[in-house]
Amino acid sequence: MESLPSGLPEIVADEEDLARFLTSSSQYNSKMVKPSAFLPEPLSCETSVFRHGREPSAALWQMAIHYAAQGRNIHGAAFLKARFVRNAALAVIAAEPPPKHAAIRNWPRVENDRELQRAKQKEVAILLASSAELFKK
Amino acid sequence: MANGSNAVSREAYALQENAANVVRLVEQSRALFGAKQDAIAHLCSLVNEYQTEGNEALDYSSVAVTEQFLRALPDELPLPEFSVEPDGVISLDWIESRHRLFSLGISPNSRLAYAWLDGTDQGHGVARFDGQQIPKRILDGIAAISKNGIATLRAA
Repeated sequence: MESLPSGLPEIVADEEDLARFLTSSSQYNSKMVKPSAFLPEPLSCETSVFRHGREPSAALWQMAIHYAAQGRNIHGAAFLKARFVRNAALAVIAAEPPPKHAAIRNWPRVENDRELQRAKQKEVAILLASSAELFKK
Repeated sequence: MANGSNAVSREAYALQENAANVVRLVEQSRALFGAKQDAIAHLCSLVNEYQTEGNEALDYSSVAVTEQFLRALPDELPLPEFSVEPDGVISLDWIESRHRLFSLGISPNSRLAYAWLDGTDQGHGVARFDGQQIPKRILDGIAAISKNGIATLRAA
């Protein structure tokens, strides 16, 4: 299998950990990460994640500050296995640069009805949130 | 005289009871009003956080409709938590557990996009909010997720 500039394999394995960085305290509560943390960006229709587990945490937060913060605070990260993304009928594809970056794609789209699209995407985002683990900074 | 005295006592007792009931109702409505005020204060804190932390732009029309929604939410139902979706729309979440939750997105055009997970049951929908009356299927959805909500609505 070919490897990427980061040294990671091109294909994201089902058991790989994915980190979604949290840039607002409203994206989680004491029980869990909220669904809105996983919703895709409106223009790209992708959710940006990094192929990294909880440890080493110093490298994790460094990655967050360098590549994800974009001037925002980093409050923590949500972790989930790639297989949960695929179980929700989404795709997770390596998307470097930046190093170890991946994109969650294939979100439901509805032409001419943004709210129906939002509702469908929320249903999927709930599935991701219910499988994710919260790691506060 | 004794009978009259008893009658006055009964009336006085009834008046006292009515007054106590009124006080109780006022206290209850103060508590409920206070809870909604607290929720609106949380919404304002979220707006403030987004303004100060350089996050994505908030949709202020969505904030205004969210406030209307909160005022229209029946007192028997629990109040939601708030977050912001990537396009700036406010999301309202009722989270009982990681497998029982109801999430609602309030867009400025007053169309409400919602989805839920209840154990193995899941779904989504869209409903219109006129600023005063919350659609019944949304109220039912929130009640179904919230244990307290179910008990209250069944009792009503």
